[in-house]
Amino acid sequence: MSQQDTGKYWPILPSALALAGVMVFIFATFGPPASSSGFVTTLKGFFLEFSPDYAANKAHYKMMPGPGSWLMAFVLGMAIGGFFAGRTFRGTIEDVPEAWQKRYGPSRFKRYAATFTSGFLILFGARLAGGCTLGLFLSGSTQLAISGLYFGVVIFAVAMVTARMIYTRGGSHE
Amino acid sequence: MNEVWLGLGSGVAFGFIIQRVGATNPQKMVLAHLMKERHIPQFMLLVVMFAAVGLFGLEAAGIGITRVLPTSLVATGLGAVIFGVGWGLSGYCPGTCWAAVGEGRMDAVFALLGGLAGTALFAQLHETLIPALYMPTNLGQLTLTDWLGSPALALVGLLILFGGGVFLIGKFWDTQND
Repeated sequence: MSQQDTGKYWPILPSALALAGVMVFIFATFGPPASSSGFVTTLKGFFLEFSPDYAANKAHYKMMPGPGSWLMAFVLGMAIGGFFAGRTFRGTIEDVPEAWQKRYGPSRFKRYAATFTSGFLILFGARLAGGCTLGLFLSGSTQLAISGLYFGVVIFAVAMVTARMIYTRGGSHE
Repeated sequence: MNEVWLGLGSGVAFGFIIQRVGATNPQKMVLAHLMKERHIPQFMLLVVMFAAVGLFGLEAAGIGITRVLPTSLVATGLGAVIFGVGWGLSGYCPGTCWAAVGEGRMDAVFALLGGLAGTALFAQLHETLIPALYMPTNLGQLTLTDWLGSPALALVGLLILFGGGVFLIGKFWDTQND
């Protein structure tokens, strides 16, 4: 990100207090927040419409609520919140991040192929583990769950190694 | 219906805050993974610390709704490895990509589509993978309280662990992007 953008983000301490407040509100009104589940509810809605038998017989869709649930509304809310935040943001919002351009050039196609692959991996991994950064790491650790701490340590370690391989040449970021 | 409005409102607040702090910006996330940006990982750890204290209060008041996910040595670990590769590759995770789509990032749209494809494949394989990978090493709904004996002690343990994390990130991560 360019140097001038850094000052446009909120400082982390009050932001962390605010987000923790939202999390505590969710724990009081719903239960542990989760976002990878929103992908399952979305697909369940799709299959309920176009292939009801499939949705009714697959364990992974049976264990999740469909559209019209808190989980579905939450991820849609995230997109709406991101929209309002993006519209009122003074920094630049780019489709291909600088770090990616430095290594692979400005091609949108390459970047989109990479993020598609990445999305595939994070959701496949999250569904296997039982949750994502929010549902397993943040929610889990807040509940002092070993699963959340275990997941958190491994995702940070693996992401750090992967980012080094993807974004640096010979291990050094130019 | 009430549940939907609660979910929507919570999501809007959540999405707004994570955009404002920069967690939806994959450039920031990539730099964080490269140890060149310390704010996002420190933010994540601080959120857990504050929320854990808040949830402890809620539970004391008897109004917290919790659901601890089980630890499966193989499935949680392998899922985390696959997740980590994807997170390191793009800088997006499942929650941030929804907010980033709303923010107007085109690469996040593709992350979301990829996510739907990954979810669909896992759901298709659920009946094979869960019995093979999840169940055999499932240790159950373990928490720090099981290890340390009392909930208060477990909370202190978590605060020390994550507080130490915030400190170490501040010490070893580059501050040139502050």
